Amino acid sequence: MPSEPAAPETVVVIDDDYAMRLSCRKILAKMGLRAEVFEDGARGLEGVAALKPGLVVVDLKMPGISGMEVVSRVHEIDPQIIIVVITGYATIDTAIEAMKSGAYDFLPKPFSPDELRLIVNRGLDRRRLALESQQAEIERALLKRRFVTFVSHQLRTPLVAIHQYLDVLKHLDQGDNMQARRQEWIDRCLKRTEELQNLISDWLTLARVEGGTLTKERVRADLNQIIGGILKTYQEMAAAEGVALQNALPEEPLCVCGDRSCLSVLFDNLITNGIKYNKPGGRVRVSGCTEGGEVMIAVADTGVGIPEKYRPYLFDEFFRIRDDSAKRTAGTGLGLHISKRIVNEMAGSIDVESEAGAGSTFRVRLPAWREPEDSTHGSPA
Amino acid sequence: MPARVLLIDDDSDFRASVRSLLESQGYEVLEAASGHDGLRMVAEHKPDAILLDVMMETSVEGYGVTYALKFRDEYAECRQIPLFMVSSITESPDERFPMSAEVEMIRPDRYLSKPLDIPRFLELLEKAVAATKDAE
Repeated sequence: MPSEPAAPETVVVIDDDYAMRLSCRKILAKMGLRAEVFEDGARGLEGVAALKPGLVVVDLKMPGISGMEVVSRVHEIDPQIIIVVITGYATIDTAIEAMKSGAYDFLPKPFSPDELRLIVNRGLDRRRLALESQQAEIERALLKRRFVTFVSHQLRTPLVAIHQYLDVLKHLDQGDNMQARRQEWIDRCLKRTEELQNLISDWLTLARVEGGTLTKERVRADLNQIIGGILKTYQEMAAAEGVALQNALPEEPLCVCGDRSCLSVLFDNLITNGIKYNKPGGRVRVSGCTEGGEVMIAVADTGVGIPEKYRPYLFDEFFRIRDDSAKRTAGTGLGLHISKRIVNEMAGSIDVESEAGAGSTFRVRLPAWREPEDSTHGSPA
Repeated sequence: MPARVLLIDDDSDFRASVRSLLESQGYEVLEAASGHDGLRMVAEHKPDAILLDVMMETSVEGYGVTYALKFRDEYAECRQIPLFMVSSITESPDERFPMSAEVEMIRPDRYLSKPLDIPRFLELLEKAVAATKDAE
């Protein structure tokens, strides 16, 4: 909530009864509200248009423009204005009709100051909530639009690079000594195509994690086995980068309950990051243990590290460190976001400890596997 | 002396293809991979034209460069250099900055979409460079 003192909310009272106007004004003013009173529908509507009140109290039975018409005309001015109708016992039916046409509530005459206070407070609360959710809706729409722009930019960038290479090749093909350049550019086009494919497959993985289809399966999964396999796969890639991969996991199985392919994606992301953002001569060490009903896996690298100011955004969608000095490493900006989503789906947690220039350690904690109580193959809750 | 064009774009492949294209047309090409480097090179080399990417994954992106060039005193001498902005997202400055119609200066001289329409781009560039050369 903003700390600035809000201007008092305005309430308009439209009633042909002088005594009623006077007492309403007194009660409302005591509530800290700005109360403006009008003696008939026409003047009342002018007042509403000019004052933009949060709430209007209107008597249904007045000479001139009927209260009923006032209700609908107020909402033509601003549909967010809360309307409370005052009615005599004889006109309860009309009150119900008024509510059907958009009034918020009704006060049967005679009413006590407390009743007025209660209904006005409730009405204003309701209005605040409606305005807040409207604001949230606008913000969501804006965020979505920005997101769409961003994703289309990410998808188009590699395509543009490829298109531009091909188009320039087409334009320059005659005579020029393009032979060597052509070979180089074809290689670049292939690289960029690969980048685009990675982006699309990460994007799909994310959509599946979000849709829950990828994390639905809950089976006993041994992380020792899964991570061991991943480390073997990347041995060569790591060696090419001059990075050593160390498996420091304990001998015994580290079992969690989850989807194996999801867990593979998770640790694949963390281990490849450890290799990609490393330095020649560095290492990636994976260790783990079971403690207090949880399996903890730590992936520690001796790489470039993550400056503190970027850490809060690390798991955000498409977040990439925008440092001119940062090593340009290929990536979609989705890996860690996907990892976080997977961990969340499995009721675990992920955090990072890092020192810029010295390396980062990602720690994943997942609930340990528990044998189902009955020996039949019931699935764990 | 050949006219010099500065490419400011964080995509090295885009720079490589446009460089070859421009060199084949007799231009001299300078490259910057970030908005920050771009500004430095504008001041240092005073190119005859600038091709500037809008969305760059660097700390100073496209409009940051435009803004600095048009408003900051240290770039006063560079204000007349023709500035082409390029992006794969066709988003006009009016859409991005609702006030830009009133703040004329933040608008680029030309807004082109990526990938470049080569004949059109070359023609616009040639005209822009010729116009500044005439003015000198």
